[in-house]
Amino acid sequence: MRKYFFNIILSILILLPFLVLTVLSFGRNWTHPSVLPATFTFDNWRTLLLTQSDLSQSVALSLFISISISALVTLLSFFTSKFISFSRWRRRWLLIAYFPYVFPPVILAACVQYYFLRLGWAGSTGGVMLAQLFITYPFGIIIFTSFWNERLHNMEQLVATLGGNTWQTYTRVLLPMAKGALLVCFFQTFLISWFEYGLTRLIGVGKVQTLTLKVFQYVNEANIFYAALASILLAMPPILLLWINKKFVFVKFN
Amino acid sequence: MNIIRLFNLTLFLLTAAVPLALALGYALLYSLGATGVLNEGITLVNWYKTLINNNLWQSIGYSIYIAFITMIIAIGLALWAVVRHGNVFRSGYTAFLIYLPLTLPATVMGFYSFQLLAKSGLLSRLAFQVGLLHDLAYFPILINDLWGVGIIFTHICMATPFFIILFTNLYHNENLKDFIALAQTLGAKASQVTWQIIIPVLLQKSFATLVLYFVFIMSSYEIPLLLGSQSRQMISVFTIEKLQRFNLQDIPQAYAISVLYGLLLIILIINLLGRSK
Repeated sequence: MRKYFFNIILSILILLPFLVLTVLSFGRNWTHPSVLPATFTFDNWRTLLLTQSDLSQSVALSLFISISISALVTLLSFFTSKFISFSRWRRRWLLIAYFPYVFPPVILAACVQYYFLRLGWAGSTGGVMLAQLFITYPFGIIIFTSFWNERLHNMEQLVATLGGNTWQTYTRVLLPMAKGALLVCFFQTFLISWFEYGLTRLIGVGKVQTLTLKVFQYVNEANIFYAALASILLAMPPILLLWINKKFVFVKFN
Repeated sequence: MNIIRLFNLTLFLLTAAVPLALALGYALLYSLGATGVLNEGITLVNWYKTLINNNLWQSIGYSIYIAFITMIIAIGLALWAVVRHGNVFRSGYTAFLIYLPLTLPATVMGFYSFQLLAKSGLLSRLAFQVGLLHDLAYFPILINDLWGVGIIFTHICMATPFFIILFTNLYHNENLKDFIALAQTLGAKASQVTWQIIIPVLLQKSFATLVLYFVFIMSSYEIPLLLGSQSRQMISVFTIEKLQRFNLQDIPQAYAISVLYGLLLIILIINLLGRSK
């Protein structure tokens, strides 16, 4: 009975934000003291996603940035982390990886903004992606360092002893074994990029309008219905990734 | 192979270490008056002004206060949930559900808290409907307040599920079940098992993660930007506001704060990684 009660309370607490945001995204005229908006309509969704192409463009732009960043970082950090993990100076390299990871992205952006402005990269999608690389690449390396261990190193040497070349070592042994870690890295770096606000705003100087910036814009305009709608859109890809992770990755690799 | 290794490590340095070094270097030069539009030669005046600025120390203190209260409550809730209802998070729909809050970014959680806790928010409306509230003016100020209630609430909402997942995984990875069984065989009471085995092991094993999370809360930007007050600001908001104010004289001080905070974090990480090995 106690477990049942706990589950109910927990479910309510967890689902409440999603419920509130969904209700608001379909609402209009939410005057005090009404608990629910006076009108429910599809107009907010229709207006923002079909009539005003701004939000659709932001969704597409955010997806492009986050997918590109996570794919690139996953690929790069897989190889770099291997060299770092088996390096004599492993601890020193990892220390370097941790610095940008803990440094507040918004302060980092404020300090590197000068260089981006001088090089003409500020306000461009490429500039924002490069800046996001500064924080996601070290994070990818931190994720992969727990993957590379002595057992893998021995396995790599065994393949070489049995006559396998580097290509075969990677395609037949290391990459199949790393599938779980690769997916975790892809998901995590996607989330960092997808959720990023401060760094994107400063390096993008307001011109690179990702979905997170749109939420802030609607909040500042006091348009709670549009902000709720953009919030729902912002939560959708992570929920999808979580579902994929739980349904396929977690079951298969754990 | 050596070329590939060299390429990888160089690329890593160029994207991880060099930008941070350039950022801190530029901030240091600006704060010392070596660069910047209004600076007239090298000077320590900006650093002096920064270090005697009460608002800076107040901001750091406020950030520590927010992070500390959040961590205490979130860790307490997570430990209680894992110790009392640990199995709930291992199987069934709740094992999936507990991951859901992690899909909401700080911006969205801040916006949700605003809609929930503001004077005209959902809580005040519900209180009005059930007769607990008759006038909006009597609803407590929970948003943009001096004590950062809204900020703390939002961070707790984000941190607690994360800690529950962390502690649940540790509970099983560290074979705590076996330790508990052994302790009970030796005559330990339930409270002794909780306070002398489960909680110390979970906290010790997660120490590095907890310290990093503490730093993340201290450095958070979006949530205090949305829910914080103007008179008390967390360190990231304080620094960025100083940088973007109309008063150009504040900019060198903002860079000095960035360097100072950056150095504090670097010292913390060196100590933390040194301790964890």
